[in-house]
Amino acid sequence: MAGDQRRDRFRRGAVRTAFLLLLICIWQGLSSAGIWNEIIFPAPREVVLALASGFGDGTLPAAVLASLVRLGIGYGISLAIGIPLGLLLGRIRLLDDTVGSLAIGLQALPSICWLPLAVLWFGLSEAAMQFVIIMGSLMAVTLTVRDGVRTIPTLYLRAAPILGATGWRFYRYVLFPASFPSVVTGAKLGWTFAWRSLMAAELLYVTSGIGSTLMTGRELHDMALVVAAMLIIVGIGLITDRLLFRMGEEFVHRRWGVG
Amino acid sequence: MALVELKRVAKTYQGQSGPVHGLTDVDLTINRGEFLCVVGPSGCGKTTLLNVIAGFEAPTGGEVLVNDVRVSGPSPSRFVIFQEPALYPWLNVFQNVVFGLRMAGVEPAVQHAKGMELLETVHLARFANAWVTELSGGMKQRVALARALAMDPDVLLMDEPFAALDAQTRDMLHEAVEEVWQATGKTIVFVTHNVREAVRLGTRVILMAAQGGGILREYPIDLPRNRYLEDLEVVTIASKIRDDLRREVLRGAEDGGGDGR
Ligand SMILES: Nc1ncnc2c1ncn2[C@@H]1O[C@H](COP(=O)(O)OP(=O)(O)OP(=O)(O)O)[C@@H](O)[C@H]1O
Ligand SMILES: [Mg+2]
Repeated sequence: MAGDQRRDRFRRGAVRTAFLLLLICIWQGLSSAGIWNEIIFPAPREVVLALASGFGDGTLPAAVLASLVRLGIGYGISLAIGIPLGLLLGRIRLLDDTVGSLAIGLQALPSICWLPLAVLWFGLSEAAMQFVIIMGSLMAVTLTVRDGVRTIPTLYLRAAPILGATGWRFYRYVLFPASFPSVVTGAKLGWTFAWRSLMAAELLYVTSGIGSTLMTGRELHDMALVVAAMLIIVGIGLITDRLLFRMGEEFVHRRWGVG
Repeated sequence: MALVELKRVAKTYQGQSGPVHGLTDVDLTINRGEFLCVVGPSGCGKTTLLNVIAGFEAPTGGEVLVNDVRVSGPSPSRFVIFQEPALYPWLNVFQNVVFGLRMAGVEPAVQHAKGMELLETVHLARFANAWVTELSGGMKQRVALARALAMDPDVLLMDEPFAALDAQTRDMLHEAVEEVWQATGKTIVFVTHNVREAVRLGTRVILMAAQGGGILREYPIDLPRNRYLEDLEVVTIASKIRDDLRREVLRGAEDGGGDGR
């Protein structure tokens, strides 16, 4: 069994690597063919050089770090507000009819639309960026958790009062763990939204960060740098997905037998 | 020694097509230490009866008294074992059993002792650290029984707890419940579809009338313990109850032809 699984995983890894190599070959081929100007279509080698020099002089790691810190704070606040709020919305009708509908309404607004107001309110500051991130991910987290609470099996909830789980204990020891699968889903969705909001904000609003690196590349007509920044953005997305959320989902799958 | 008293209890639901009677004017006294089994046609209000005693649903008429106190909501002193075990999958077997003790703020050492003792009682001590998803249906139901006993309820309410299990597992669980009942003297209300199961376990069986009609007949069961499903006396009494039940099902079907259930 275990051997089969390992072989299967290995085979899938090999297929993926081969596919990636093929893409790079096509890319190299296209740029060697010289259909497009070198300036608008950088060769793989140029991009690798841009990555190497960016890492060499420390500008790329600094940019990534700046983005991740910003993201960490904004996303952390979204989770800290969104999870408890979602739990409450799923339980309290009145709150759902008011705050819940507001959240649904706000979700229709791409968070980058908040940037002008955020700059007015908070100035050209980190707070403005974080506000945009929070507006991007908070609703997704809240609403996913709320929907998760609604789908908790009735029997789990019925068992709570007869086990003495009432008041805050009910929220802490029954409702939160019972909705944990949707908390993981909500956190993942929220992360995607937060990441996209951050990139949009960094593109529009010149500052430090990997999104700004991309913008700088554009202004300098350094397409190799632009592609390098894009690759890093993809890389960060993949790594968090694999490390953070895949682990959470596997945990949920093992324990809850769903998800 | 009345523990549970129902006085003209009624429960009417607002269904899609007018009011639905879950219970009508039920008068019932359950004595301390009794093992009461409830049988009746599907939709006659057995689950409603348990829910009203448990406090999950408020009656629309009459009142339910437990220890002379009016029931106003769910409480650990009236513990329900559902048809589905309703264990918490984020906790392991042991943690499920002691969950109620933990909520009550019992010391960890006491929790441990009590939890392991109860797992011994249901013969699952080996599985203390297993996850709920790793258990069979019968094992889950035994954990649910241990979890219920941990709360030391005044009355144990069981709603077709073994209906989804195979015959061998069910036999074993009958023995487990009977052992617990004999050892602790708990009052048990046991709802079932299976008339023979009712006779095998109960000190009294009540038959409910179709479509929320209330209690139709009572049958005291004075057979010695331990009984078996195949005992001649069990089978004889069961077949008599089953005849009454069948007649009631037919009558119910004629009366409420539109029920469609
Ligand atoms: N929440 C509800 N809303 C409307 N009607 C209900 C509700 N719960 C139960 N009923 C109705 O009340 C009646 C009694 O239901 P109950 O669930 O108590 O039956 P039961 O005897 O437990 O049936 P079964 O043997 O099939 O479990 C049925 O006609 C049912 O349709
Ligand atoms: Mg029922």
